[in-house]
Amino acid sequence: MKLLKQLKYSLLKVIDLSGLTFLAPIVRLCYGEEPKVQLQKIGQWILVPIAGVCAFLFLWHITSGSIQTKSGTLPNPVETWQGYNAIDTQAEREGLKKTSYELVGEERDQMLADAEDRLAEVKVQVAETNAAVTAAKEAVDAQTKELIAPLDKEYKELKSQYKAASKARKAVLVTDADSLKAGNVAEYNAYYEKVEESVVKTAQEKEELSILKKKIDKIREIKSPEVAKALLEQTFAAEEAQYLSKQIELLSDRNRAVQVETATGMISTYNEEFLSLTGKAAYDKARSIAKAKERLSKMESSSYAQPATIWYQVKRSIFCVFTGFIIGTAIAVPIGILCGLNSTFMAAMTPFIAIFKPVSPIVWLPIALIIVSGLIPDPDNNPLMLFLWDLPLIGEYKINPAFIASAVTVALCSLWATLANTALGVASIDKDHMNVARVLKLGFFARLFKIVIPSALPLIFAGLRISLGVGWMVLIAAELLSSSEGIGKFVWDQFNNGASDSLAKMMVVVFLVGIIGLILDRIMIVFQRMVTFEGSVSV
Amino acid sequence: MKAHTLKQHVGSLSLAAGMAMTSFVAAEQLDVEKSELKFGFIKLTDCAPIVIAKEKGFFEDEGLQVDVVAQPNWKTLLDNVISGDLDGAHMLSGQPLAATIGFGTKAHIITAFTMDLNGNGITVSNNIWEQMQANDEKLDSDTPPHPITADSLKPIVEEKLEDGEKLQMGMVFPTSTHNYELRYWLAAAGINPGMYTKSDVGGRTDAQVELSVTPPPMMPATLESGNIQGYCVGEPWNQQAVSKGIGVPVTTNYDIWKNNPEKVFGVSKSWADENPQTYLAVTKALIRAGKWLDAADESGKLVNREEAARILSRSDYVGADYDVIKNSMTGYFYFQKTDKREMPEFNVFFKDHATYPWYSDGIWFLTQMRRWGQISEPKSKDWYYETAKSVYKPEVYLAAAKLLLEDGHVEKAEIPWDADGFKAPTKDFIDGVEYNGKEPIKYLNSHTIGNKDPEA
Repeated sequence: MKLLKQLKYSLLKVIDLSGLTFLAPIVRLCYGEEPKVQLQKIGQWILVPIAGVCAFLFLWHITSGSIQTKSGTLPNPVETWQGYNAIDTQAEREGLKKTSYELVGEERDQMLADAEDRLAEVKVQVAETNAAVTAAKEAVDAQTKELIAPLDKEYKELKSQYKAASKARKAVLVTDADSLKAGNVAEYNAYYEKVEESVVKTAQEKEELSILKKKIDKIREIKSPEVAKALLEQTFAAEEAQYLSKQIELLSDRNRAVQVETATGMISTYNEEFLSLTGKAAYDKARSIAKAKERLSKMESSSYAQPATIWYQVKRSIFCVFTGFIIGTAIAVPIGILCGLNSTFMAAMTPFIAIFKPVSPIVWLPIALIIVSGLIPDPDNNPLMLFLWDLPLIGEYKINPAFIASAVTVALCSLWATLANTALGVASIDKDHMNVARVLKLGFFARLFKIVIPSALPLIFAGLRISLGVGWMVLIAAELLSSSEGIGKFVWDQFNNGASDSLAKMMVVVFLVGIIGLILDRIMIVFQRMVTFEGSVSV
Repeated sequence: MKAHTLKQHVGSLSLAAGMAMTSFVAAEQLDVEKSELKFGFIKLTDCAPIVIAKEKGFFEDEGLQVDVVAQPNWKTLLDNVISGDLDGAHMLSGQPLAATIGFGTKAHIITAFTMDLNGNGITVSNNIWEQMQANDEKLDSDTPPHPITADSLKPIVEEKLEDGEKLQMGMVFPTSTHNYELRYWLAAAGINPGMYTKSDVGGRTDAQVELSVTPPPMMPATLESGNIQGYCVGEPWNQQAVSKGIGVPVTTNYDIWKNNPEKVFGVSKSWADENPQTYLAVTKALIRAGKWLDAADESGKLVNREEAARILSRSDYVGADYDVIKNSMTGYFYFQKTDKREMPEFNVFFKDHATYPWYSDGIWFLTQMRRWGQISEPKSKDWYYETAKSVYKPEVYLAAAKLLLEDGHVEKAEIPWDADGFKAPTKDFIDGVEYNGKEPIKYLNSHTIGNKDPEA
């Protein structure tokens, strides 16, 4: 019983620490503690938010159809989910291609057989969907033609009628002009009015025609949902077919093991031939063998050139934001402490802080990019880059100048919150603590690490939390501009694609970025609570 | 179950047969200095040779693992090639020349492979199109006669000038084919598109129509927002304007200059010097990709283009809808929703010796740079020859072609083995002016608008 109670308190403590306080009523309810109150809390903090999300999804679903853009309507939740699936499928397929390239033995045979079976099925689908697309297009074309035919007829008739009318008017007016008597102002005025009237009339007719034309154009521009659906299905099938035939290639002829085996076989044939040769021929053969061996060793270590998938981009973005965040923190915390300790130093720093703080990432990025690529002119042969590429874990993210420039931009934009909070935290340390330090005659560093930093930590972490949030927002923009591989580049690529599902894919990114931002924030909250203690300076 | 194992046996048997074949190919592989490469491209259909060489395994046949990465704009692409972040890239024909002579970023860039001919269009907004139709009755039809010149645009430009405004048009890069083509089209109708001077690097001095740079994929959006009233860009961004109903392509560069060179595959000279065998291997793969793209059956139907369009429509390549890319790739072009035309040569990737790096093509771009003042001083005829020779590398192309001929991947007639690097003089321009690559100064002086030089 005691154990259970202990469990309850440690659970509640964890919940409190992680900031997931909405879970607390559930725990308490399980222990039967004031069920009525707990139920009410659950209603308020769990059910109401769920209802809110549902209401949002519903509103989104019904309104999105009416927001018309030139790229189609705003995607609804279902289409966004399909967009997510498309992104994820692509990532998965790229992963499988890589695996296929490296796969050996029976597993490879199995996968090859599966892929061939599947390809046969998909090929049927491709044919079916192609037919469906043609049929849908023909149906819509016929329908459009039918709708347009009367309008078009009207337009053409009106056009020739107006053209004739305007021509006739012109002819009449020109003949009238012949009978004008020079000097007769009234007559001239009357004539002028007639001409003006005719001009206005022509303009009116033109307007009428253009309205009609717009009507026709509008009918032509209508996007038929049937055709869109057929095209979507066609794309699904055709893309899978294409992927499968590539995979089959990678499992058979272009498989690494197969290629290595071929090369090994060739070297042994060469070896046999070599043993029976003399003179120049022997030299040539030996040279070929040496070269073939070199190629073989390269082949053995080769890896499939895999394009960046969304999950790789997400990981790289998170890595980049933390790199920038760490750089920013390393600058902000020491300066912040000095500002807090010494008001003269603070006064000296204020103008810089005030000027640099509002500068937008869009301004920092090109500057950072130029400076960083100036410092690292040839990344392929730069010792620092090569060192970073060889590191475990980090190596696969291929840190390049664009990455560093993005990280520096994140640092420059996000360090201000940490700096200000650190300065505030240090400046507002209880005077008694400092007096005690003075009485004990603590040295500068002892004072710094025993008193100043510990008491300022809660505020420093409050600042770090804001900084990380700002950094995450800034990073997406920075990546978009620097085309450093990451979520920002993904969004930009989608925008540039301008395909019918690009908008849906961009909507997916909204949620992706939001959720990752939320998780980062939660992590910082946990840290913040861990360093906060009774009686410390609180936010 | 039994059937399955049997199938596996058959599978491995056919594998063994495959091995025997690949062993032959492997024997022909070059000793590449660098086997893992990264190439850049801009989201345009004419990046196809690079994408196809990767997806159809032509790079792999050369022992290369290539990563193909989309670049946000031409400037970044060039900078990345210069910095070494990219090993090579899909470039505008003018880019290697301009970089080598130091207009813009200076760096020695070379090319041994022309990626394609034609493939651009000039699109105007719906509003301008209506006014053009009002100015020229012939255009007021669902299927107006082509080529459409800028004559019907001229009154609109003049009217705007009287109101103190200048028509704004977009192109993709100061040294892009599009800039020169748009200028050519405007100037052919007597509209001054503006001159570059030492102090005016935007090229707007004396302009009647102002041209500005917008990255290709942004063109439709910029047109829609009203910042520009027309643009010149590669595919699929003209067809996109039609399919979204925001503009009307009035002409293609096929009409401005029939079979004009468009993109090249550029690498930095230092990279090529360090990796000569790799460069040769890459060129081999690209030539094969070009040939694959232009493969046709007896009736002249391009047999691989639908597959190519499907590959290009993947979101990590061009990414536009398959339906949109397919139009121009399979030899059709929509001028309006009602005006679909057959243009089998809208994109030429291989035939008629298209992939050979002709000096005369390079010289044409140099004459245009001089014509519009990007080259600020008069240059001698020899300078044009020398510059073209330092950038265009037919020797690498021919070496690669020779290896392909030995492997049986190309036929003898498909490569201009004995060419001196100059195409025959041609009058296939919208204004009928003759271009002879051997006489750059004479050509320069045959235009009404633009710089003229004394013949030395």
